[in-house]
Amino acid sequence: MITVDGLTKRYGSTVAVDNLSFSVEPGVVTGFLGPNGSGKSTTMRCMIGLDRMQAGRALFDGKPYSSLRNPLHEVGALLDAGNAHSGRTARNHLRWMAASNGLPAKRVDEVLDIVGLQQVAKKRVGQFSLGMKQRLGIASVLLGDPRVVILDEPANGLDPEGIRWIREMLKHLASQGRAVLVSSHLLSEMALIADELVVIGKGRLIEQCTVDQFISRHARKWVVVRSPQLGTLVDVARAKGMQVATNETTAEFHGVESEIIGELAAANGVVLHELSTQTGSLEDAFLEVTATSVEYHGQSEAAK
Amino acid sequence: MIATIRSEWIKLRSVRSNVTTTIVAVVIPLAITLLSVTFMRTSGIGENTLSDFVLGTGSIAVLLIGVIGVLCITQEYSQGTIRLTLAATPKRTRVYLAKFVVMALVGALVTGFIILASTTVGSIILESRDVSGPHTGPDSGSAFVAMILMGSLVALLGMAIGTLTRNPPSAITTLVLWPLLVEGIVGALLSLAFEDNVTRWMPFQTGLNSMFAELPEGGFGRWGSLGYFAAWVLLVTVIAERGLKRRDA
Repeated sequence: MITVDGLTKRYGSTVAVDNLSFSVEPGVVTGFLGPNGSGKSTTMRCMIGLDRMQAGRALFDGKPYSSLRNPLHEVGALLDAGNAHSGRTARNHLRWMAASNGLPAKRVDEVLDIVGLQQVAKKRVGQFSLGMKQRLGIASVLLGDPRVVILDEPANGLDPEGIRWIREMLKHLASQGRAVLVSSHLLSEMALIADELVVIGKGRLIEQCTVDQFISRHARKWVVVRSPQLGTLVDVARAKGMQVATNETTAEFHGVESEIIGELAAANGVVLHELSTQTGSLEDAFLEVTATSVEYHGQSEAAK
Repeated sequence: MIATIRSEWIKLRSVRSNVTTTIVAVVIPLAITLLSVTFMRTSGIGENTLSDFVLGTGSIAVLLIGVIGVLCITQEYSQGTIRLTLAATPKRTRVYLAKFVVMALVGALVTGFIILASTTVGSIILESRDVSGPHTGPDSGSAFVAMILMGSLVALLGMAIGTLTRNPPSAITTLVLWPLLVEGIVGALLSLAFEDNVTRWMPFQTGLNSMFAELPEGGFGRWGSLGYFAAWVLLVTVIAERGLKRRDA
């Protein structure tokens, strides 16, 4: 499992990551969610020791990354699939990585097989499509059979087939008991992949919870009603102080449960043709939450 | 450490541009020597001629080898693989040391091969032109050893400069302009001010001088010159290694 505790990273006077703490459990996919520029990639670079954090720590099963003797056996990280020499073949790209952690060349052929690149193992990476580079990146993550997997925006720029492949690979890795942390700003994608969410905005933790909790807590809910006596029901509801938006055939009741509306209709003898609860998407929830964090940031800037 | 060295060796030989640069670094000095002994008037050929030609190409050879040193680190930054390297081996000093060992060996071996090929094929050419031996001068042995060590040192200097600039064009420019331009200008200015032979304090020029069969007057001698240059290479190396450890990748 991963424990991030009070991670802080500043570039000059700009605070990129601000006292960020979260944990990533084994056996589930944890989505690392935030708008562009919110500090997801910086956090990941700090976690694996590429960038130096000014405060805090990131532990992998209790140990900092820098203390791992052969880190590829413990942590597989893919920050950018483009980080491969375009003049090197796929096989040689994996071979130097394997050699650095004492892994045999046989393991390289195994992971090429797992990601389905064995046919193009001797082709240079420069000739690869984005999807193939992403597969090569996943192969490099799998090299040391690590218990922790970290991926930064793995679905970025992929076609639907590639996205589905990544999604299934991540679920498969988590089902084997690995801790999987995957960042994205694609919220709809996150809803499909992730079980847990770590949501950040402007380098600060907004929330860590499950996907369902996040939606129910933040997504807007409303009740839609269709009725031949719509006007009556709306008048009664408004008299009780409810917020109602109407159009020709339906009315939307905000801030109430469907039971209340149903009982209200029955008490007033109103016939209902439809009574349903609508939930905003994860996208809506996310935009709402991060919009707040942006405003908050703006205020704190103004306060200086 | 052995694993890191193996990894660095695989990196170096698995990129075609590195191999091409190495071939160019061998072929250019070799061709100059062989063309010279092929077309030179027989009357002008003495017993030092072949070794003088080989040593004369030394400056070009070691600078081209320095480019390999530059590439071995700057291509990691230009292609983004430095992040994979440092993620696979978080001990950055170990990464630098592994590259250091590989480049020192490559620099020495490539220079040694240039000397061996040039003298062997050069002698055959001279024999076929009915010029009897010996073709290499009596002092050429120690000069060849100095040239091999210069091959290592300039490769390491290229790598250190590359680590500092992180980008191939600026590192190669620095490496080439240092001996050709900077030391020339600084040396000329200093010699206006001081009567003493100040140009010997120019590190690169002094290092290159160690490869001459006949050493220039007023210098540090062959091994002294080499040692002086090595001290500068070590200085830049220490700065580069500290930079690699300190800076974000």
